Order: sequence, then structure tokens, then C-alpha cells
Amino acid sequence: MTYLIVLISAVLVNNFVLSYFVGICPFIGVSKKIDSAVSMGIAVTFVMTITSIVTWLINHYILIALGMPFLEYVAYIVVIASLVQFVEMFIKKTLPALYKTLGIFLPLITTNCAILFVALIQAMREYAFIQSVVFGFGAGVGFTLAIVIMAGIREQLELSDIPRPFQGAAITLITAGILALAFMGFSGLTSA
Amino acid sequence: MVILAAVLMGVIGLAFSIFLVTANSRFAVEVNPKISGVEEVLPGVNCGGCGYPSCASYAEAVATDEAPVDLCVVGGAETAREVAHVMGVQVSDELKEKLVAVVFCQGDSEASAFPGLYKGIPDCAAAAYSQDVAKRCKYGCIGLGSCVASCPFDAIHLSATGIPYVDAEKCTACGNCVAACPRDLIELHPISQKSFVYCKSQDPGVIARKVCKKACIACTICVKAAAKDENPEAVTMHGNLAVVNTQNYTAKPEYGEKCPTNSYNTDQNSINREKVIAALEAERRKREKVTT
Repeated sequence: MTYLIVLISAVLVNNFVLSYFVGICPFIGVSKKIDSAVSMGIAVTFVMTITSIVTWLINHYILIALGMPFLEYVAYIVVIASLVQFVEMFIKKTLPALYKTLGIFLPLITTNCAILFVALIQAMREYAFIQSVVFGFGAGVGFTLAIVIMAGIREQLELSDIPRPFQGAAITLITAGILALAFMGFSGLTSA
Repeated sequence: MVILAAVLMGVIGLAFSIFLVTANSRFAVEVNPKISGVEEVLPGVNCGGCGYPSCASYAEAVATDEAPVDLCVVGGAETAREVAHVMGVQVSDELKEKLVAVVFCQGDSEASAFPGLYKGIPDCAAAAYSQDVAKRCKYGCIGLGSCVASCPFDAIHLSATGIPYVDAEKCTACGNCVAACPRDLIELHPISQKSFVYCKSQDPGVIARKVCKKACIACTICVKAAAKDENPEAVTMHGNLAVVNTQNYTAKPEYGEKCPTNSYNTDQNSINREKVIAALEAERRKREKVTT
């Protein structure tokens, strides 16, 4: 049951993009087409899940065991950077088409604050191992959900008659704001 | 404690780098060596003149046979030959006519007064929205230098009186300034063609003369002169504006001798043009000598 709560909380109630406002860069940058948004979401979910596994292990078996939890920021950044590099190599080799679609945003996952945020939050909340894996996965799913919804809206926006000053980034940010308001409706669904 | 922390981070870093190195060798992707080969001979200024966003993407397009080898406007024939060499193809040895950016406005601060003072964003496109506070002529150069800012080669500058002039020697015809001008006053034309009507005003003569001393007032003197020279296609009227034919470039400087506003002339908005023409001529002669 707690896993379900953690999952729903991460996906809907405390959606990373629309509630914590982390990971805005790819949210705006790769949300032009649904296909690439889905792939970006999957890549982020993948990285988030693996990150939460590895950072949990490092946090518990190395940092806390050696009494140096203050190293978590530095250690997590090293972990995330290496993992993203790895994912990049992996995708480049196995899915060249996806690699091309994601383009610059794949290496940019490295500096995506959402990933570091997952690692830091799960340490702060002192999740157990499976909880933090579920949390990382849920955060990724939440990100995917948000970016796919956004891409769907933006595909419609392409066809609509937007006043000139609002075209491009402006209307996207306004849409994101309204979307965040909508997601606020989930608050109170869970307590976590 | 500090030492332990440093050692710990070092160990973690080392572990991950070993992991990455092994992963890298396992997931190594063979990259087409032609891509980097072509990229090496390209100028690397990423001007976008070829139609691709960067030299790297053009190199990729060339290497995958999507693009011809001679699109680089900056390197010109020299680069085309090198790219062709990398790709193992032949490129025709003919000299392409060098294009140069031409500014179609002479309405500087002396010729076309400002009715007001523009204090907004120093950018032509922004100023173009507020029609009346820019220069008086609504077709003319705004003079805030968006073209200057767009030039990656330092080839276009504002004169003291606020009109851009092109340094023909540095200009590579990448077309950035053409896109930057909100009033479409800049075009690319062969360097040897200097006779143009340097005006884009569609105002009727009376108004055009009022707003700018150097505007085309549609008196048709140049058109008549061309007709008299049995070359009626060289200059034609497009509404209230005489336009030099850019299909065949046969307009001569003489057609503008009687132009009352001197809008038809032989290029006041560029420097070093003669020098480049002379250099090209010398190159051509040298080649002819080699072939004969």
C-alpha cells in the first residue's frame, strides 16, 4: 500500500514538473512532438529509476556507513553524470533513430535538476530501498505524463491562431502554468 | 575526515570511470570517417549560408550524399575542391561568380530625416513595428544595425550617417544580413553588377521625394535610357519603383546618368569592391593562361 501511495504521489500529486517545477528545460524543449516527448519521458524515467537505485545504494552502504552523508550532492552528481553518459552510449548503439530525436537533450539530462532532485528527496525522506525505486520510477512516469500532455497540447497549438506576441515560448509557459493549476487539483489525494 | 572524503570521492569517481570506459568500448559506434573529414576542411564558422544549421550538420549531409559538395559559401571554390577530395568526387573547376550583399537604401540621416526619436530596443525588427518613429521612409533602412549584429564575418557596418555598407572583401554571401533586415533591403548579387536602383520605396514620387532626398521617384528616366539603348528589359517599373533586372544583369551605369535623385547609381554602400573584382579578374586570367 505504501508503494502505491509513493507512486501516485510522485506521478500525480507531487508531479515533478507541474508541482515542484524541476526539469522545465526538457519539458519546454522536447515537447513539440508527441513521439519525441514519449522517448524523452522514457529516457528520463529510465535514468531516474537507475539513479534512485544507485544513489540509494551509495547513500546507505558508502556514505552513511562511513558517516559522510554530507558528500551526497557531490556523489550524486558523479553518479548521474556517469549514468547519463552510459544511457547515451547505450541508446546511440541500440536505437540510433531515438538518439537523433533526443539530440542535445539526452546529454542535458545530466544537468536536469529533476534527476538530482529525485536522489536528494528520497534521501531526505529516508525511503527504504524499494520505496525509493518506486519513487524514482514514479517521478519519471510523472515527468513523462506531463511532457506528453504538453506535447499533445502543443501539437494542437501549432494549428491554432495565437496572437503574435504569445507565439512560441510565451504560450508554452502559459499553458504549462494552466496545466500546473489543473494538477493542483490532485493535492490532498495522498499525504506524502 | 577531509582526506577520507577526498579518497572516497576519488574511489567513486574511479569506479564510475572504469565502468564508463568498459561501456564505451562495448557500445562503440562506428562513425562515418567522411563526416569528420569533411568537417575538418570546412571553415567552421557555422554561418548557415549553406542552408544547414552548422558546419557539422552540413558535413554530415555531404557525407551521406544528401548535399552537394560545393554549398559552402564561405570557403567558395577552394573549400568545394577540398570537400570533393575528401568525398572522392570531381568538382567542376569553373569559377563561380562571387556574390556579395547589396544594401538597397541610401536614405541616411542626411537624406531622410527622423520625425521622432526611437528609444526602444536597439533592433531593427523591434523598431519596424513602430512604423512612425523609425526613419521617415517606411520602406527604408531603419539604421539600428540588426544586419551588422547578424554578420559573422564583420563584413557589414553602419556608416557615420546610419546606413549599412558592405565590405566586399569580407562578405561571403552567407545571407544572414538578408534574413536580419525586417524591410528586406539587403539582397545577394554578383559582385560585378554594380548598377542598381538603390531604393525600395513604393511611395508615389511626390511623397517619396518628400521623405527622402535619394528615393526613386518613379520618373522612369532610367527605364527610358535602357529602352533607348535597345535593352528595355534591363530596367523596368514595378509600381512606383524602377527595378534593375536581376535575371540577366544587363543594366549599365549610363542609364542612371540623368537620375534626378541619384537613386540609380553604381553602389555607394560598399567598400573594397573594386579590389575584389580586380583580384577575381587576375585569378581568372591566371587560370586562362594555365588552360591555354
